[in-house]
Amino acid sequence: MTTATSAIRARSRRLNWRRAGAWALVVLAVAVSILPFYWVLRTSLSSNSALASNASNLLPADFNLGAYKRVFGLQTAQEAMAEGGSGAKIDFWIYLRNTVIFSAVTTAGAVFFSSMAAYAFSRLRWRGRNAVFGLFLATMMVPPIFTALPNFLLIKNLGLLNTMLGMVLPYLFMTPFAIFFLRQFFLNMSREVEEAAMLDGAKHLRIFFQIVLPNAAAPIATLALLTFIGQWNEYFWPLLVGNQDNVRVLTVGLGVFKSQSPQGAPDWSGLMAATLVSALPVLLLFVAFGKRIVNSIGFSGIK
Amino acid sequence: MNKKATGKKAVGALAAAAAAVLALSACGSGGGASGGSGEEAKGEISYWLWDANQLPAYQQCADDFHTANPDITVKITQRGWDDYWSTLTNGFVAGTAPDVFTDHLAKYPEFAKTGQLLALDDAVANDHVDVTQYNKGLADLWVGEDGKRYGLPKDWDTISLFYNKKLTADAGVSDDQMKALSWNPQDGGTYEKAIAHLTVDKNGKRGDEPGFDKTKVAVYGIGLNNSGSGQGQTEWSYLTGTTGWTHTDKNPWGTHFNYDDPKFQESIAWFASLSEKGYMPKLETTVGASMADTFAAGKSVINAHGSWMIGQYTGYKGVDVGIAPTPTGPDGKRASMFNGLADSVWAGTKKPATAVKFAEYLGSAACQDVVASKAVVFPAIKSSSDKAEAAFKAKGVDVTPFTQQVKEDTTFLFPIADKAAKVDGIMKPAMDAVVSGKQPASSLSQANDQVNSLFNK
Repeated sequence: MTTATSAIRARSRRLNWRRAGAWALVVLAVAVSILPFYWVLRTSLSSNSALASNASNLLPADFNLGAYKRVFGLQTAQEAMAEGGSGAKIDFWIYLRNTVIFSAVTTAGAVFFSSMAAYAFSRLRWRGRNAVFGLFLATMMVPPIFTALPNFLLIKNLGLLNTMLGMVLPYLFMTPFAIFFLRQFFLNMSREVEEAAMLDGAKHLRIFFQIVLPNAAAPIATLALLTFIGQWNEYFWPLLVGNQDNVRVLTVGLGVFKSQSPQGAPDWSGLMAATLVSALPVLLLFVAFGKRIVNSIGFSGIK
Repeated sequence: MNKKATGKKAVGALAAAAAAVLALSACGSGGGASGGSGEEAKGEISYWLWDANQLPAYQQCADDFHTANPDITVKITQRGWDDYWSTLTNGFVAGTAPDVFTDHLAKYPEFAKTGQLLALDDAVANDHVDVTQYNKGLADLWVGEDGKRYGLPKDWDTISLFYNKKLTADAGVSDDQMKALSWNPQDGGTYEKAIAHLTVDKNGKRGDEPGFDKTKVAVYGIGLNNSGSGQGQTEWSYLTGTTGWTHTDKNPWGTHFNYDDPKFQESIAWFASLSEKGYMPKLETTVGASMADTFAAGKSVINAHGSWMIGQYTGYKGVDVGIAPTPTGPDGKRASMFNGLADSVWAGTKKPATAVKFAEYLGSAACQDVVASKAVVFPAIKSSSDKAEAAFKAKGVDVTPFTQQVKEDTTFLFPIADKAAKVDGIMKPAMDAVVSGKQPASSLSQANDQVNSLFNK
């Protein structure tokens, strides 16, 4: 009896230790992953000229909102320089507009066309289907840097440099990953529903729009979100093609803002403020759709 | 020049053009315009620069220019140094390069050679631009190997020592001592003594005291930017320049480099030894860090840096910064690399007359006085230079350590040579290896052979 209770107690104590250890680990992991974001916030609330001499202080150095004013263009170059910023400006609203257009159009296009392709690869039977699909998958192995130059020259010869169309085109139609992702899902759809629809006289277009797409809403939403975030963060292609202010996206704008005179230190607080503000929309998107994504992944897992 | 690349034979053309982009040369729409005879100066042109700190000054120049020439508008784009050159060469190929842009001595020889720059000789002659108004030597730097002028000087820079006044005072090193340092490659002279004394380890022991722990340094006597590659502009050229050593056989357009000279290797060996002794940060710890920020954080006491950094160094809150001239060397004199930027006109510009007119305005006293008044850099024109010095003084910064090199004629010109990118490709890793202590300075002889073989072909 006593031995049994002491064994239980021992086990529960051991469990408690284990649990405490696990909690400590979780807390540590959370702290480690949150700290960089806190540091971004802290830097953005500091005065740039006071940052370097207060490197080890956890609180903002010389607290002020000047960096945010700089980002939204509410500060003159003179004021900015007085706070240790530079004469560089970020046309935040224009870059934001460009990023939203760039991400939204490419996401809409890529998801729509990829789902059509995925439909063809999963629900239609045609000769050489698997071979073509294999070829498609193989293109996933080609690093994007290899296609950057030919793409660039193509866009240049089409006269589309520094246009939104030129920036959007390479992403607009499809990506192998999206097709692969959706095909796996479409493959698992029951044939009976489709056959029933066919008996009712529905053609492929109708089946695709009225049966397959609605049924795949969750994975499509997941894919759209993933694509959108990827596009939001895209840097290299927009840098190559979208040089002018009117098509420059946020990532490129921030990159330009970061590096100024050679060997000079960047306007860290302005950069961090801009980074934070430009990450916000994606964060909000996650808050709004996060649950849906988890559900859809869970759903597709069960299937 | 090579319009074939954009022809119709798709595959071949793509490959050819791709190679052209990679080589950052050869192709593009250059060579078309020549002086803009008969064309009227009007319309909108674009101007690029990389230094954000100078943007307000140049914006004002553009506005003033527009007021004087209502038919012309100038659109200024600032882009950071890191992307500047790739976007520019990309623009040459794509036909989207700016009409006028800030150009660098290390870059323009290749641009000129591939026909991307408009020669300004006719304009200079027709519009009577006085090239003697610039500080000595600056205008000549922009005359290419072919004898044509490819830029009008906008500013110049020299090197000095920025130092943390509080930390030097703590160590008992006076401002006068800082201004009178001397150096030699054997024992480092009073310069090394000062650096050693200013270095403090975590136990508070100074670099020249017994028991100094070089593995646990809290404050370095001198900061390190990087290894300096083949030029060492802010890193070591102010030292090697006092030994009688020169980068190339002649400057500009040298075709033989002297990295195998014992005088040079001796100096570099001394420079690398500072890290070894714990007086200077290890090279690997400087990657991705700003030397100026490290300085402001109190981690280094002396930083040798260029005059374009004055605003940065004096802008830190709570850091009292002194500026001292570079130390005198074995020849008894100081030395500083003298570098100058200029504005160049792109050969592919659709409005050459307008572009040239604006470039001339940027090179004129009217614009350079505006730049001077902002106290960010030293304009190329002598009278404007003096105004900048006064403007700095009004801001409470004594910049004589920078200007005295010019006045005392102790400057030497930035080494201008063809194939700069390739030379850099060889010298950067070679210098990195030496400064990080992985290779002896004698290994530079081999790198020198490689560099020189570039010019034998």
